[in-house]
Amino acid sequence: MSKWRLKFSKLGMGKYISHLDLLRTFTRSIHRAEIPVRYSQGFNPHQLITFSLPLALGVTSETEFVDIDFEDTVSPDEILTRLNKNLPPDIKILKVSQPIFKAHDIVSAKYIIDIIAPRVILKEKIESFFEQENISATKKTKKGEKEINLRDFIKEVKVVSLEGNAFRLDALLSAGGEANIKPDIVVAKLQEYLNSSEFESVDIHRVEIFFENDKKIESFC
Amino acid sequence: MNVYERKFEQVLKKVQKPARYIGNEFNSVHKENFEKFVKFAFCFPDVYEVGMSHLGMKILYHMMNERIDTVCERVFAPWVDMEEELRKADIPLLSLESHMPVSSFDIVGFTLQYEMSYSNILNMLDLANIPLKSKDRGENMPFVCAGGPCAYNGEPLADIVDFFILGEGEEVNNEIIDAFKEWKESGENRISYLERISRIEGVYVPSFYDVKYKDDGTIESVKPNRTGVPEKIKKRIVKELDNGYILDKMIVPFMDIVHDRITLEIFRGCIRGCRFCQAGYLYRPVREHSTDKLIETAQKLIDNTGYEEMSLSSLSTSDFTCLQELVDRLLEITVDKRINLSLPSLRVDNFSMELMEKVQTVKKSGLTFAPEAGTQRLRDVINKNVLEEDLLRTAGIAFGGGYNRIKLYFMIGLPTETMEDVEGIADLAEKVIDVFYQIPKEIRKGRSVTVTVSTSSFVPKPFTPFQWEPQNRIEDLVAKQKFLKERIKTRSISYNWHQSHVSFLEAVFAKGDRRLGNVLVEAQRLGCRFDGWDEHFDYEKWLDAFKKCGVDPEFYAYRKIDHSETLPWDHIDIGVSKQFLVKEHDKAYEEKTTPSCREKCSGCGATSFGGGVCFE
Ligand code: SF4
Repeated sequence: MSKWRLKFSKLGMGKYISHLDLLRTFTRSIHRAEIPVRYSQGFNPHQLITFSLPLALGVTSETEFVDIDFEDTVSPDEILTRLNKNLPPDIKILKVSQPIFKAHDIVSAKYIIDIIAPRVILKEKIESFFEQENISATKKTKKGEKEINLRDFIKEVKVVSLEGNAFRLDALLSAGGEANIKPDIVVAKLQEYLNSSEFESVDIHRVEIFFENDKKIESFC
Repeated sequence: MNVYERKFEQVLKKVQKPARYIGNEFNSVHKENFEKFVKFAFCFPDVYEVGMSHLGMKILYHMMNERIDTVCERVFAPWVDMEEELRKADIPLLSLESHMPVSSFDIVGFTLQYEMSYSNILNMLDLANIPLKSKDRGENMPFVCAGGPCAYNGEPLADIVDFFILGEGEEVNNEIIDAFKEWKESGENRISYLERISRIEGVYVPSFYDVKYKDDGTIESVKPNRTGVPEKIKKRIVKELDNGYILDKMIVPFMDIVHDRITLEIFRGCIRGCRFCQAGYLYRPVREHSTDKLIETAQKLIDNTGYEEMSLSSLSTSDFTCLQELVDRLLEITVDKRINLSLPSLRVDNFSMELMEKVQTVKKSGLTFAPEAGTQRLRDVINKNVLEEDLLRTAGIAFGGGYNRIKLYFMIGLPTETMEDVEGIADLAEKVIDVFYQIPKEIRKGRSVTVTVSTSSFVPKPFTPFQWEPQNRIEDLVAKQKFLKERIKTRSISYNWHQSHVSFLEAVFAKGDRRLGNVLVEAQRLGCRFDGWDEHFDYEKWLDAFKKCGVDPEFYAYRKIDHSETLPWDHIDIGVSKQFLVKEHDKAYEEKTTPSCREKCSGCGATSFGGGVCFE
């Protein structure tokens, strides 16, 4: 067994590292750490690195997962320490373990969304947005744009705090191969609904990823 | 976190490629307690992915940051979308590392790599809320300095920049920082710092020199306006590269940059002396690193970066004395680690083909040659020692070895050029194609061959034998391009050329004087920036700026200058004598070539530095 699942965080300005750039960052960090890693066969061999659930640009996270095929000669502890020495400061490996669950079964992700609006907002008003039956939105897909009902992608939202024009949401949104939604679409639609001019600041942070196991929803690891 | 950081972070959501602005890359240096250091903002007047590809910046960045008393942070030109957001949100230009306003640094240094980045310098100063003209900067403002190849004739920026650094920055940068600390302690005024550093060899404070003009607009004299400053400012070099600062780490960017790889500098300078090439004269004399040192450095760079590619860097790879040995030893340390080695700017010969075979194990991409001129006569004029038969022979070897794409680079508008020379470009490209079809089908790869001909327009540059030459008028260049395009009949040759308007402005600013300062200020006001980028270059705005300032750009680009005239850069000494350049200019008209420094020293004057090839 040489495939390891690395749990890592991506914080601070690291949220602006795109998916492709992150892949490159891992590849080079592994090189620097001199951890023996497996390469794909074929004309253009590359390291075998798979992210469980790509993170939208502009979002921080404390629970990201990447599967990497290392050679058998390295221990998980070694992977963790050596890699952390060689990763840029905004990315940190938290845990190395054997992958048990399949990324394929991921169904949702939980986000904390902190918003500062340009004016005072009422809690009821925010809640009424999420209570709508239908929230039409356009979603960018590989094939182009698609009209969707955003409500179908929002599993649960709570206004956990609100003080003047600043509020925090806990949002559980669809994620994974079946139905994936970027949290910023929700924020944009909310802004539109509140008739607000541009929010002064929006911080989105991913805290947990869930998958379906035997009809049960569990925390991905 | 400073006051702007929060706003800045939010703004990044709205721009393309936010990774340009985040910093925190591996090997970037972030120092706590910003205030206690001498603060140097290293500014590259272009976008991140261009600036980060530049070796000089990497060297000076790490060198300065190794000082415990100094912090050096990077600043790049924000792309136009980011500029708009910054201005909208009222955020000044910030450094990449600590996101501190550029105006809070002690020294703001620009590197001048190409003339078409000048408008970006002014725009960056404007974004940083630093007055554009040095005379308007108050006591607490940063000093603005500039170095790099264009600083040798930095006269168009003389009103903007507080001081120039001429030559290689490794030693001088340290000296100006030492001087800064002493000056700061002395409590003296702004001028006194400039006076102190004007005594450092390689530092040029333009405001300490007065320029007088004649009635016809040419220069009467350039004289120091105070005592204690040198009449002539001599460039600085690192005499022994192995003993200088060795760059053994590099920042590894998140995003894809133009040259996203290890750059291993193998030597500085060039032995060849092509008469149009400014770099060939500016960086004399040739100085090499030892192979042992290079291997040691390469190993460290591999360990410290994790890059998957390494490229050798110099003006002409083939001229490195122990190239074979170097490549063999580099392959020993790169192959196992799956690191590709690339050897740019190889000269055309059998030996280089062999080397190429060795390093290019995977893809047989295209080959690139730069004969620069279409006929042997013109190649002799410009001292480009490439013989047609050599080129064709190598093309043959390349085609036989499986290549089927070749790129040929030429210049049009060279001194003494006739239509025959222009036609020679097409002839040469056709001959290359013939070579392909002479090779038996079984050996060559593919059924057809593509030759890409690219022409750039000749720009006369200071400190070259062609500095006195007029540039071809835009109309003439366009006519030559058109002629060549029509002359190329076969579809196997594709032809592309550079915009002549850009080349014209390049000539104006390359050979310009102080009177262009106002034009730059006006152009920035009109919105000129990113002039090196086709999509942003606006020629009309530039013409407008010249007109508003009452400056005739043609005076600088199109005038045939007499050898006796005082040039705007005559008070700068690059170590190559004006006499030598005159001699080379005359020889060009006699169609006589000059041997390379290794064949025979031609007495250019660079022996005065006491090192390098002149003493081999
Ligand atoms: S002095 Fe001679 S050897 Fe030295 S750079 Fe000049 S021409 Fe070359």
